[in-house]
Amino acid sequence: MKKQFVWLLAAMMAVLIVGCASQKGPAEQAIAGAETALAAVRDQAQKYVPDQLQAVDAQIASAKDAFAKGDYKGVLAAGPGIMTAISGLKDAASAKAADADAALSKAKDAWSSVSTDVPKMVDAIQSRVDILSKSHHLPPNVTKDSLGAAKSGLDSLKSMWSDASSAASSGDYTGAMAKAQAVKDKAADIMKSLGMTS
Amino acid sequence: MADETPPAANNPYTQTHVVVAGDTLSKIAQKYYGDPSLYTQIFEANRDVLKDPNKIFPGQTLKIP
Repeated sequence: MKKQFVWLLAAMMAVLIVGCASQKGPAEQAIAGAETALAAVRDQAQKYVPDQLQAVDAQIASAKDAFAKGDYKGVLAAGPGIMTAISGLKDAASAKAADADAALSKAKDAWSSVSTDVPKMVDAIQSRVDILSKSHHLPPNVTKDSLGAAKSGLDSLKSMWSDASSAASSGDYTGAMAKAQAVKDKAADIMKSLGMTS
Repeated sequence: MADETPPAANNPYTQTHVVVAGDTLSKIAQKYYGDPSLYTQIFEANRDVLKDPNKIFPGQTLKIP
């Protein structure tokens, strides 16, 4: 009886070992498949959804850890969840990329308009500053201080506009638009201080 | 950014003045520049509509560079 039990136990161990070994290959393939799928979306995910990518990386690291410990069953159980997470990561990154493309396109259009507009504002201010600088008496709504501030503000405007143009030239239309708006606001203030808006 | 001032004619940000009865270019220059002698600046900016600096008419819209 005792001998029979030992044989039974040995047989069960053998089945278990063979069973585990038969799961090793699929578990290895599951990890490799997940890594391949993630590699295909990693760059876009890193750019647009880095936190979500980090979570998926952690899931794969956990599966690898389980694999190293021989928990192939655990790896296989986690596999579908990891693939779903990668699919979600891909969708989220694609959606954010589409949003970014739309924002870039909008900024590009806006830049096209503002790049014509702002130089005209600056030219109008330059013209008025040049004329007022020749004036023997300033008009009542313009002081010497405001004219002086307009002159230095004009230099600042040109420098700011140069920065905005550089940003646009390098393809950063969103940044260029932010800088251009600051130039427009400042130009509007100067025009007001010179009585050009009344 | 151009170094030279472009014609005010093409610039929507150039201020304008609608002539009223009794206006002269000198009076307009006095109002906007504080100096009547600068009327020539207004005349030159409006050569497309003014032939003579002494002849402006109520209702005319002049550019004030």
